[in-house]
Amino acid sequence: MSVLRSLSRLLTWLIPFGILVTLLVVWELWVQLADVPKWQLPAPSAIGKELVSSSSLLWDHTLVTLQEIVIGFMAALIAGLVLAGGIAYSRVLERSVYPIVIASQTVPIIAIAPLLLIWVGYGLTPKIIIVALICFYPIAVNTVDGLKATDPDMVNMLRTLGASRWQVFTKLQIPTALPFMFSGIKIGISVSVIAAVIGEWVGSSEGLGYLITYSQPLFLTARVFAAIFVLSVMGIGLFVLAVVAERMMMPWHFNEKRSNSMRQL
Amino acid sequence: MATETAVKPKIRIESIHKSYFIDGAQQEVLAGVDLVVNAGEFVSIVGPSGCGKSTLLNIIAGLDQPDSGSVELSSERLGELLKTAGERLGQTGYMQQKDLLLPWRSVLDNTILGLELKGLSKKQAREQALEYTEAFGLKGFEHHYPFALSGGMRQRAAFLRTMLMGQDVVLLDEPFGALDALTRIQMQEWLLQLWESLSKTIVLITHDVDEALLLSDRVYLMSARPGRATLVLDVDLPRPRHYDMVTTPDFSTLKAQLMEPLRAQTQTFKFQAIKSVGQAGS
Repeated sequence: MSVLRSLSRLLTWLIPFGILVTLLVVWELWVQLADVPKWQLPAPSAIGKELVSSSSLLWDHTLVTLQEIVIGFMAALIAGLVLAGGIAYSRVLERSVYPIVIASQTVPIIAIAPLLLIWVGYGLTPKIIIVALICFYPIAVNTVDGLKATDPDMVNMLRTLGASRWQVFTKLQIPTALPFMFSGIKIGISVSVIAAVIGEWVGSSEGLGYLITYSQPLFLTARVFAAIFVLSVMGIGLFVLAVVAERMMMPWHFNEKRSNSMRQL
Repeated sequence: MATETAVKPKIRIESIHKSYFIDGAQQEVLAGVDLVVNAGEFVSIVGPSGCGKSTLLNIIAGLDQPDSGSVELSSERLGELLKTAGERLGQTGYMQQKDLLLPWRSVLDNTILGLELKGLSKKQAREQALEYTEAFGLKGFEHHYPFALSGGMRQRAAFLRTMLMGQDVVLLDEPFGALDALTRIQMQEWLLQLWESLSKTIVLITHDVDEALLLSDRVYLMSARPGRATLVLDVDLPRPRHYDMVTTPDFSTLKAQLMEPLRAQTQTFKFQAIKSVGQAGS
């Protein structure tokens, strides 16, 4: 039983890994055999070499982009949670601010990036703002939904135990909202990398997005690929961090799911 | 035991009416219910589903207000009659059919919820709760999450949460309704022992006639919606009671007195309509 299970666990990792390796081999062979010029499409091996030879350059730009993402995301997280709490707690805020928050999503945030250059210049600040604006919405909206997803019977139970409005909020609404909040965080963190890169494209002198726009006209295609590779690794790493935080903060959630699926077996 | 104290109404309900707006129409749920529960009594309310039993408990607990009529809850602790819903809220122990345990709290931390809301420190509250985990059959499971527990244990944990509040009136809304038959019998016997040792006033809602007779001093029978108390039956079986009693002749006599009007209510199906099932097309 346990051997079978660990085998099937191994398989769930092996299969996507195998597909990935196969794709890379096909890519490599195709570039080699068809003699595709390096500036058009570099082979995976060439990208690997570029990653090594330009590692210090890539590292410097990675730090810049990472900084934009982390600061922007944290700002979005704090603002999103505070606003979500306010909207869920106060009718007035829900009626007045929430519709604006939802409507604001129709404004293409990417399109205001050039304006930010005018207002706050070329530094890190406009990129941080773009990351924050893009991450804010999924975090805020999911958390609002979570705070409102409380079981009315649970609320009544707490009221008969003598709970105040504030106690219902802290003891029931906030824990109920956690899984929703983490969904928002995971969506936010996935798009934060895109947001930072686009922010850098619009105008900057550092960061991986800048490195891409700078290398492309020079036909340093391998470097463009190397930068893209680093960006995806960064995105995956940040997502994993979010998942780890989720599991640490809600151990009951995952045990419950597991025991439910076990019961079905 | 309860009967030795002077008879003193703990809950007095006079002709309360309540209607709700359901499916676009005003529907009367309670149509003039009278109910008296004396201190230390165990009273059951039996009735078909949808007769407003839960609404009645919600009103006593202060979660809801009647449209008309009066409700009085006498509070020993406050030394006064609580007449408004706001005053009564938080002054009774109320337990529902669902255990409503918070999934993110351990069993122990679920049981101390009420004490915590009162402002006790977690440490103090846990110490208090730990004194009772054995009597409530939770020993060894204090630090488990609720999902790991059986239905009966979850219900007992919810029970302990209610009892730790120390209210002298306890309202139970079909607390064993979701349990399987054997666990339910176990829980009924356990509740009997608990009540006989605690001197609480209990109002139990159930649709299980055996359960009502076995546990109660008095049973109120409610009619289908709109609900009103159509029959009051004193249960003069000796105490302490035991589950074996359900097969005695005295018990059967009492049961017959309850079943007859109950069946008369629930059998008002339109048999004419049933006869024509499947014939509509022919």
